[in-house]
Amino acid sequence: MNSARKLDRLDWLLGGALFLAYLALLLSTVKDLGYARDEGFYFQAAHSYEAWFELLRTDFSAAIDPRSIDRYWSVNHEHPALMKTLFAFSHHYLFTDLQLFREQGTAYRFPGMVLSALGVAVTYAWGARENGRLAGVVSALALALMPRVFYHSHLACFDMPVTTMLLITTYAFARSLEGKLGWAIATGVLYGLLLDTKHNAWLLPGAFVLHFVLTRGVHAVRELLAKRWAFPHAFVAMTLISPCVFYAGWPWVWHDTFQRLRDYVAFHMGHEYYNMEFLGQTYWKPPMPRLYAWVMTLATVPGITLLLFLIGLAVSAFRRKPAAAPAPPSTPLLWFLCLLMCYSPWWSDATPIFGGTKHWMTAYPFLCLFAGRGFAYVAERVAELWPRKSWRVWAPPALAAAVLVGPLCMTLHSEPWGLSFYTPLVGGAPGGASLGLNRTFWGYTTGAVQGFINQHAPQRANVYVHDTALQSWEMLRQDGRIRSDLRGSLAISGSSLALYHDEPHMHRVEYETWVDYAHDAPAEVGTFDGVPVVWVYQR
Amino acid sequence: MPNARFLWLLVPIAGLAELGLFVYDAWRAPRVSEWQAVRAEVAKLKEPADLLVVAPEWADPIARYAFGDELMPIAKEARPDDSAFSRAVEVATLGKSAPELQGWSVREERTVGRFQLRLRENPKPEHVLFSFLDNARPPSLSVTAGDSRDTERACVYTAHAAASAGGLHGHLAFPRERYLCGGEEFFVGITILDDQEYRPRRCLWAEPRSGESVRLSFSNVLMGRKIFGFGGLSYFIFRDGAHGPTTITAQVQGQRVGSYEHHDERGWHHFEFDTERFAGQTTTVEFDVSSDDPSDRQFCFYADTR
Repeated sequence: MNSARKLDRLDWLLGGALFLAYLALLLSTVKDLGYARDEGFYFQAAHSYEAWFELLRTDFSAAIDPRSIDRYWSVNHEHPALMKTLFAFSHHYLFTDLQLFREQGTAYRFPGMVLSALGVAVTYAWGARENGRLAGVVSALALALMPRVFYHSHLACFDMPVTTMLLITTYAFARSLEGKLGWAIATGVLYGLLLDTKHNAWLLPGAFVLHFVLTRGVHAVRELLAKRWAFPHAFVAMTLISPCVFYAGWPWVWHDTFQRLRDYVAFHMGHEYYNMEFLGQTYWKPPMPRLYAWVMTLATVPGITLLLFLIGLAVSAFRRKPAAAPAPPSTPLLWFLCLLMCYSPWWSDATPIFGGTKHWMTAYPFLCLFAGRGFAYVAERVAELWPRKSWRVWAPPALAAAVLVGPLCMTLHSEPWGLSFYTPLVGGAPGGASLGLNRTFWGYTTGAVQGFINQHAPQRANVYVHDTALQSWEMLRQDGRIRSDLRGSLAISGSSLALYHDEPHMHRVEYETWVDYAHDAPAEVGTFDGVPVVWVYQR
Repeated sequence: MPNARFLWLLVPIAGLAELGLFVYDAWRAPRVSEWQAVRAEVAKLKEPADLLVVAPEWADPIARYAFGDELMPIAKEARPDDSAFSRAVEVATLGKSAPELQGWSVREERTVGRFQLRLRENPKPEHVLFSFLDNARPPSLSVTAGDSRDTERACVYTAHAAASAGGLHGHLAFPRERYLCGGEEFFVGITILDDQEYRPRRCLWAEPRSGESVRLSFSNVLMGRKIFGFGGLSYFIFRDGAHGPTTITAQVQGQRVGSYEHHDERGWHHFEFDTERFAGQTTTVEFDVSSDDPSDRQFCFYADTR
C-alpha cells in the first residue's frame, strides 16, 4: 500500500513475546475479577452450545434438526455465536478434558484473553511495519496498557474479541491492496468471522469503501471507462465469502434465515436504552449527550497515549512525502477512517451509551497505531538533539520507557476495579466521582467483596446479589470463590446480606435495603482510591 | 527560536508528569481507616439534633460505614430537606463543601487529618411543631379507604405485615408496620423513595388504588402557620410521566386548607398550605390522597406543621 518495512524473524519473536506476556498478565490477574453481568448470560449460552456440540458428535442428524437447533441455540440469540462457541470449546477441552484451569469461569474467559493478546500482537506487527520496530512496541503496549482495555481483555464477552477481529480484518484488507489474492481471500474469511463476533462489524465496509474512493476513486473510474476491472479483490471476497462464513458459524440462522437476521438487526437498531451516568446526569432516553464518547475517551485513555496519537495524526496529515514516494499515504488514511467509523454511532444523539467505553474500543488499536507513529517522529527529533553523542541511540528506548511507565502503573493499579478507573486528566477515580462519571456497572465488583461475604454470611444464607446476574453468582459459587452453601437471590426480603453496586439510578434498591434491614450503615465497603464502589449490608 | 527543538522533550516530561499526577490522585482521597479514625472527633462535635453532612457526597457510604447509624440515622439521611435543622456538622475532604449548606455560617472549623470538620448554623431554621411521619401510628393516626365518604372502610394497622421490596424495577420497600386497606399492597406506611436526583426521601406511602382514595386522619396535631410538605413517587419508575396526576388535599377541623396536584415527572416536590388561622391550636388534620388514574399512583409524602 505504501513504503512499509518487511517484518523479519525478530519482529515475529517480539510479536509472540508480547502475545505471551499479555496473556500471562491477564491470567495472573483474573482471579480477583468478579464475573460481569453479561458474562453470566454468555456462560449460560456457551453451556447450551456445548451440549449441542456433544449431540452433534453423538447423533449428527438429531443435532441438525431445526428443533434441536432452536433448543440449544436460542439462548442469547441476539448475538452471533463465534465467541460463545469458543467459550464452549474452551470449557469442554481445557477445563473438563485437560483440566488446565481450576476454575470454569477462567476456562470460559480464556478465548477472550487469547484474542485480546492477539490484538496486542497484531497491533505490534502493523505498527512495526509502518513505523518501525520500537514504534510497533509502543503501539502494542499503549493498547495493552489502557486500563479499560485491560479490564475488558479478561472477560468472557465480545468487546475485546471484536476489537481484535476488526483490527485483523482491516490489516488483511490493507495487505490485500498490495495485490495479493491470498490476503483478499483472508479478508473475506476474517470479515465473516468478524460478523460472527459482534455487530460492530456492520460499519467496517463503509470505511473500506470510503478509503477506496478517496485513494483510488479517480483511477477506478478511468479503469471502468476503459472496461477494465477496477475494484479490490477483497470487496469480492467480502461479498461472496464473508456471508458464507457468517452463516456457517451461527446455527441459529440455519433455518428461518431471513426472519432471524431481520430480528437480529432490529434488536440492535432498536436497542433498549439502559441508564448511564455522565457528568452528574443519568441518561435513559434520547437525546443522549453527543460529547459522551469523546469525553469518556479523554477521561479513561492515558493522556500520554492521546498526546502521541495527536502527534501521529498531525505527522500523517502534514509530513511532506518524498517526490518519488508512491501515491497517497493510504495506510494512515485507512486507520483514520476506521477510527472515525468506530466512533461514528456516537455522533448521533439517538445512540445508546449504556456500555461506556467498550462501545468504541474497536477504535483504540488505530488510535495506538497513530500513537506509535507519533512516537517514532518524536524519537527521531529527540535523538537529533545530540547528534554527536554516542548515547543518542538510547534516546528512543528511554523515550519509550517515559511514555509507557505511566500507562503501565495505571493499568496494574486499576485491577480489579477497571470500570472505576479514570485518568489524571479528570483527577483519577476521586475526580471522576466528583464530576459525576459512572463509577461501575455490570455488577462485577462482587468479586471484590467475596472475602467479606464468605466470612460473614450465616450458613445457607440468601445473599441479595443486586446487579450481579444470578448466572455470574452461580459461577463464583461453582468456582469456589463464594461458599457453596450460599444462595444468590434477587429478593431483598429474606436475604441475610445485601450487595449494592453503585449507580445513581439504582439508589432506590439501596433505600429498599434500608427499609427492609432497618438501618443504613453498610457492614463492608469496597473502595477504589478512596471512592466507594460496592458495599454490603448485613441484616 | 534556536532552542525550539528542545520542546520535543516535553513529550517524555508529559509522560512522567502524568505518572506523578496519577500517584497523587490515587492517594489524595482519605481511606476507610481514616474515616473510622475521625469518628470520635465528629461524635464530639455533633449534638443529637444536628444534621451530619458529608462532602463530597459520593463519600457518604464510607461515612455511614465508619460512623454508623447512631451518627447518620435513616431519618436524617432521607430527610425531606434541610430547612428544619438549626445546625449541621459538615465532614469535608478534598477541598469540597456540601452545596446544600451554602449560606449556612461556619461557627467552628477544625482540621483533623485529611478532613475539615465544620459546625454550621442555619441562618433561617424552621421549627417543626408536629411531624406527621413521626406520628404515623395509632392512636395518633387512623386511616380509611373508599371511593366516597359513604363507602369508606377502616384500614387495619399492623406492625407485622409481610415486608417486601421490588428491586430495581419493582415497587418501593413495603414496611412491616403499616395500615392495610385491602390486601398486602394497598396500604399506608413509611418507606423511602428516590427523588429526581436519586437521593433518599423518607415519606408516607399513600397510594390511591382502583379509584379509591385514602384518607389519613391525625389527631392531637399542634398547628402552626403552615403545613409544610413534599410529595412524589419513585423517580426512577415514574420519571417518564406517563400517568395522570395525584392530588393531596388537607383539611383542618373539617375545613379545607389546601390541595396539591402532583405530576410524576416533577420528582420530589414541595407544597405548603396556609394554616395561620389555626396556629397554636391542637386539633385534627386529614389528608385525602386521590387520583383519577386508577393504577400505579404510588404517591408518597412528607408533612409537618410549622
